[in-house]
Amino acid sequence: MAPDPRAAEMKSVASPDIVCEGLCKSFADGTQALAPLDAVFDGGKTTAFVGPSGCGKSTLLRLIAGLETPSAGAVLIGGAPPASLQRQGAIAMAFQDPSLLPWRSLRGNIALALTLAGRPADRTAVDGLIDLVGLAGFGDARPSALSGGMRQRAAIARALVTEPSLLLLDEPFGAVDELTRRQLARDLPKLWEPRGTTTLLVTHSVDEAVLLSDRVLVLSPRPAQIAADIAVSLPRPRPAGIERSENFRALVMQVSDALAEGAVA
Amino acid sequence: MTTAVGTIAQPLRSGLGSAFGVILILLAWDLAARATAGSFVLAAPAEVLNWLVANRGLMGRALAETLANAAAGFVIGNLAAILLAVVALAWPRAERAVMNLALLIFCLPLVATGPILRVLLGPGDGPQIWLAALAVYYTTLVPLMVGLRAAPASWLDLVRIYGRGRWTEIVRVRARAALPYLFAGLQIAAPAAFLGAMVGEFTGAERGMGVLTVRFIRAMDVPAIWALACVAALVSILVFAAIGWLARFVLDEKPPVIIAPAQAVGALGVTARMLRTLTLAVLALALWWAVIQIAQLNPFFAKGPDDVARALLSAPDAAETRARLGTALVETAVYVVPGWAAGLGLGAAIAIVLILFPPIAAVAMPVAVALRAIPIVTTAPLIVLVLGRGAVGTISLVAVMVFFPSLVACLHGLRQAPGQIMDVFDSYAAGPVSRLIHVRIPAMLPAFFASARMSVPAAILAVTVVEWLATGRGIGSLMALSASLSEYDMLWSAIMATAVLAVLFHAGVSALERVVLARTAPEQVG
Ligand SMILES: Nc1ncnc2c1ncn2[C@@H]1O[C@H](COP(=O)(O)OP(=O)(O)OP(=O)(O)O)[C@@H](O)[C@H]1O
Ligand SMILES: [Mg+2]
Repeated sequence: MAPDPRAAEMKSVASPDIVCEGLCKSFADGTQALAPLDAVFDGGKTTAFVGPSGCGKSTLLRLIAGLETPSAGAVLIGGAPPASLQRQGAIAMAFQDPSLLPWRSLRGNIALALTLAGRPADRTAVDGLIDLVGLAGFGDARPSALSGGMRQRAAIARALVTEPSLLLLDEPFGAVDELTRRQLARDLPKLWEPRGTTTLLVTHSVDEAVLLSDRVLVLSPRPAQIAADIAVSLPRPRPAGIERSENFRALVMQVSDALAEGAVA
Repeated sequence: MTTAVGTIAQPLRSGLGSAFGVILILLAWDLAARATAGSFVLAAPAEVLNWLVANRGLMGRALAETLANAAAGFVIGNLAAILLAVVALAWPRAERAVMNLALLIFCLPLVATGPILRVLLGPGDGPQIWLAALAVYYTTLVPLMVGLRAAPASWLDLVRIYGRGRWTEIVRVRARAALPYLFAGLQIAAPAAFLGAMVGEFTGAERGMGVLTVRFIRAMDVPAIWALACVAALVSILVFAAIGWLARFVLDEKPPVIIAPAQAVGALGVTARMLRTLTLAVLALALWWAVIQIAQLNPFFAKGPDDVARALLSAPDAAETRARLGTALVETAVYVVPGWAAGLGLGAAIAIVLILFPPIAAVAMPVAVALRAIPIVTTAPLIVLVLGRGAVGTISLVAVMVFFPSLVACLHGLRQAPGQIMDVFDSYAAGPVSRLIHVRIPAMLPAFFASARMSVPAAILAVTVVEWLATGRGIGSLMALSASLSEYDMLWSAIMATAVLAVLFHAGVSALERVVLARTAPEQVG
């Protein structure tokens, strides 16, 4: 049997490494959001970014997603520019603001991602994700009828439905209540971990960064530079109650200290 | 969204408001007719009704004819608008050129394009339909462009992140996001199409409301003129309302009140702006010449830019042509500018007064929106009947034509004042006047200027129609005269001069707008 070329292509991007080479971004108004950044984010791992507001976290994610063009330097995802991964429908991003289309139902919004990525509409997958993010029964609701936190969860479901090989989460739980946030932090990684998805997460919660990631990067104030690079070696999947363990608390302290130092530097 | 009570009470209240308004208007009308009885100016409501009943067959046939032409023009014009919008969007570098050429063509005076289309297309329905199309495409294009661009960037990022291009963006996001704006445009387009068809019929059609209008003006048949105007107004309001109803049925949201896009002007230098204007002029001339060549129009009727240049510059009677044209233009401008300014100012002033009494403003808004739908030009004969053929009559007509769009836009702008800012003022116990000056009026200015710009072609249309039908002065009359005397060089020169002046007027208002908004609403000036 001849190998399916598409399968080969999919395999080549299953857990792509991300390489940033001298990545720079200045906006037209002269704002420099990103100082030259050299970094490698390992394929199949989750990397969290924390840093002060306005330091350039969203900009970094958008550059990696191929939504902004770098002023200098380049992003390579699995050796290719972001655009080629985009074309395969292999990137997904949960934006800082949920950006649901107001005229589509929640289910329609999630299914739209499948259409845009060129996948068949899979109603079971869509409904399964709606249940998973705790929105069961709201599939036919319009975004305007949902609360801010519910919309954000819908946006997460939309990002996950295409089973991307690169998942970008920009403060995905910002408007979600503490209890649901913990639940999501426990449930969602179960979806991407077994698939070996490369995940980048921006968050303002140090606990969340440590809980979800394999590595936390602390960014300095604008223009963003890496102020600290902290490996998180906690067991996967995270056991229940790990937040209370000594290791976890130590890591949280370490990241918090780095954040405080970075803000002064 | 408001509460359930709010959503039920709103249409009821506006319905009651409209009914109340109609009754008031009828009463005032009847009183005025009694007061002026015997002066052959005003027909009482009962007289109009009697005339309509007696001539229902004639009226019915004319209305059917005009409606059919208006509908055909409505479809063509709006399709053209949609097509132009898609071109401008799919090819952003062409957007400015497309929009400016569209404005230029919209500024061509219908009363002159009408006779030219008549000689080119012959006696059938052609000119009516084309004029109706010309009258609507721009009023749809403008809100449509606003709507197509109104989609937040993050919706478009969503499309791009899955590797899809501009086309998917247009189909999946922008088209749907623009629908409410399209409906808003279609609502304004409906009466405009009716107006265009009637002006087309003025130019020598065989049937239709326009033909009857011309006939009854000659005969000074007062009840008939009033009956025609009433029917035109009523039909327009009904179509306007029907489209609004359809929009509410199709969309969840109400169509936005959009009159024109906010100015999006970058930091362009004077040289760049002049260069762009020059490019536009060259483009317009090339297009003009190309249409005539490609359509192989009869050179006796269809004059190109070269013919006009010869007539104005090098022909033996060029000086005389220029003098006649100049005189006529001045005569027209003397009516257009004060009428336009008075209509705008009155609209803004009344809007400001109304907003100080919120319950009245809530009732006045739907009435004003409905009255805006009346194709004012169809009432031109009335205003001339009432106020005479002199300056007062013409200026009043222009003012009325500009008044309703200005009132609606300003009311909308005044009510737009952001709630949080109002809360801040409340917390300082600021009075209504201080709120008006510091919050509401600055919030109103963008809408005011948008309607000021869009009213320029409307004002010119109003004056040229009156000059043509009634007063026998100015550029409108010069156009009518040269059309009937087959002086096509003069006719085309007049068209060109009018369009250029209209565009310059428009540009002047835009410049003023930039200066004022740069102080009061910097975010609007990009
Ligand atoms: N399109 C743009 N044009 C100009 N400046 C921009 C643009 N987008 C972002 N910036 C600027 O770049 C800087 C970084 O913005 P960015 O959105 O990346 O911050 P962030 O780290 O995500 O902040 P937050 O935590 O508040 O979301 C900010 O100073 C912002 O003002
Ligand atoms: Mg951000």
